[in-house]
Amino acid sequence: MIKIEQVTYRYPAAPSPALRDVSLEIPAGQFCAVVGENGAGKSTLAYLIAGFIPHFYHGTLAGSVLIDDQETSQVPLNQLVQQVGLIFQNPFNQISGTKFSVREEIAFGLENLGVPREEMEERVLSTMERVEITDLADRHPLALSGGQMQRVAIASVLAMRPKVLVLDEPTSQLDPIGSREVFSAIKTLSDVGETTVVMIEHKLEWVAVFADRVIALSGGSIVGDGLARDVLTDERLLEKRIGQTRYTQAARLARQRGKWPSALPLAVTLDQAVEGFKD
Amino acid sequence: MAQLNSLFVARDSPIHRLNPLTKLTLTGLLLVTGLFLPGVLTNYLLFLGVILPLSALAGVGRQLLSSAWKIVLPFAISVFLIQGFLWPQGTPLVYIGPLSLKSEGLQFAVVSTGRILMIVSSFLLFSLTTRPDHLMNSLSRIGFPSNLAYVIVATIQIAPRFQSRAVTILDAQRARGLETEGSLRTRARALAPLVIPLVLSSLIDVEERALAVEARGFNRQGTRTFLVEQAEAAWEPAGRWLMVLGMAAIIGLRVYLAVSR
Repeated sequence: MIKIEQVTYRYPAAPSPALRDVSLEIPAGQFCAVVGENGAGKSTLAYLIAGFIPHFYHGTLAGSVLIDDQETSQVPLNQLVQQVGLIFQNPFNQISGTKFSVREEIAFGLENLGVPREEMEERVLSTMERVEITDLADRHPLALSGGQMQRVAIASVLAMRPKVLVLDEPTSQLDPIGSREVFSAIKTLSDVGETTVVMIEHKLEWVAVFADRVIALSGGSIVGDGLARDVLTDERLLEKRIGQTRYTQAARLARQRGKWPSALPLAVTLDQAVEGFKD
Repeated sequence: MAQLNSLFVARDSPIHRLNPLTKLTLTGLLLVTGLFLPGVLTNYLLFLGVILPLSALAGVGRQLLSSAWKIVLPFAISVFLIQGFLWPQGTPLVYIGPLSLKSEGLQFAVVSTGRILMIVSSFLLFSLTTRPDHLMNSLSRIGFPSNLAYVIVATIQIAPRFQSRAVTILDAQRARGLETEGSLRTRARALAPLVIPLVLSSLIDVEERALAVEARGFNRQGTRTFLVEQAEAAWEPAGRWLMVLGMAAIIGLRVYLAVSR
């Protein structure tokens, strides 16, 4: 479980805090999406959960972050990486650049952790199966497409068996097919219940379909927290530039024209839109 | 097939199967032999008698020759012309107008070209038959700092990506009307709009890459393990020591000859 208690954080030399009085609890196995405009503090929240704040980025931190009751500021980063995995936007930057095959790339983190070879082979194989990249095992990591590379990056972190997986806009540089591949792989993990997922994402259509819970950030504070259908249809959040899915936009227009059932909440997914428009 | 971003050519050969440290030591022995042993033709003999046969055995002879000549030929032409004709005093062999080709200059050019040929081909033999990551692992196993090994290997692999980014920035700036061709002054003026975005974007990438490798336990202290076992023949450790002794003997001989002269 992730527990964030009254955290305010300011980067070194920054004029104002990136996060303000954030408190949050994310139960084990939940797929939690974090949305918000650029500069809302989403990536800072990701670095905070992964322990890069305060271990990598120093700055001024008040409050505490606990992963399974352990305060991240008290655990060395090289131990913390075994509990919390972090995936970044740019898939290319996550490839180590020193390995000649996907299989070896996935083993890079395990080699650093000193995992015995037999166990390493087993973990690499099972992770490739989970993320459905077994067919890429012998390919050069730098010769893959963006979506494939991102899935390799996810597998590389998952092979280290973290309890928590934090993804910072992992689909921002991917095409629709690549995005779907990544979302499906993450959802599968979450459904198994072994991994808690915190995913920062702008693609609200995908968030609405896959996330168990949506947290909206604005100006470093939490302004929305709940089910996707509640958070992503909240009119107050439109003013905070959180955005809305195209289905919510259509349903909202329909409601204004009296063509959306008054008892039905606005749609955030295609299925919900079909349900609302069928009558 | 040549692998991405490195000179390595995958083959199943006895040379490829050697421990990278054995190949690195052999490269050192070749360099010491060629540079310290006297003789005008020593380096050519090393090239023809050792490097070329080993590259043929490894199945990379064609790649070695095609890369080596591109480096050595321009050097050879310039050194033959400059040293052959501009050697201050010596025995003229041929007169061409006011210039004369001197015997001593020619000999110097032959020796220099031989050295370059031997150095270039030794490193090519090593690079064509050694995977950079295997070298990194082998170096880490003997206590070489893994951070340094990572920087060397990752830089080799990732350099082409930065080249392609430089081209993208060049195209983007041209599309916005930046003059990048013409006089020296025009080109100099275009430098800042090209270099600054390249450096800044590279710095951002470096930070993200540092975080990414950190997230994979790269800075963890303690023993590392390796997915790929580094197999080596029973004779290799002793062979490496013998080569080191050989290097010491050659350097010793050279010092003795210099002192006793």
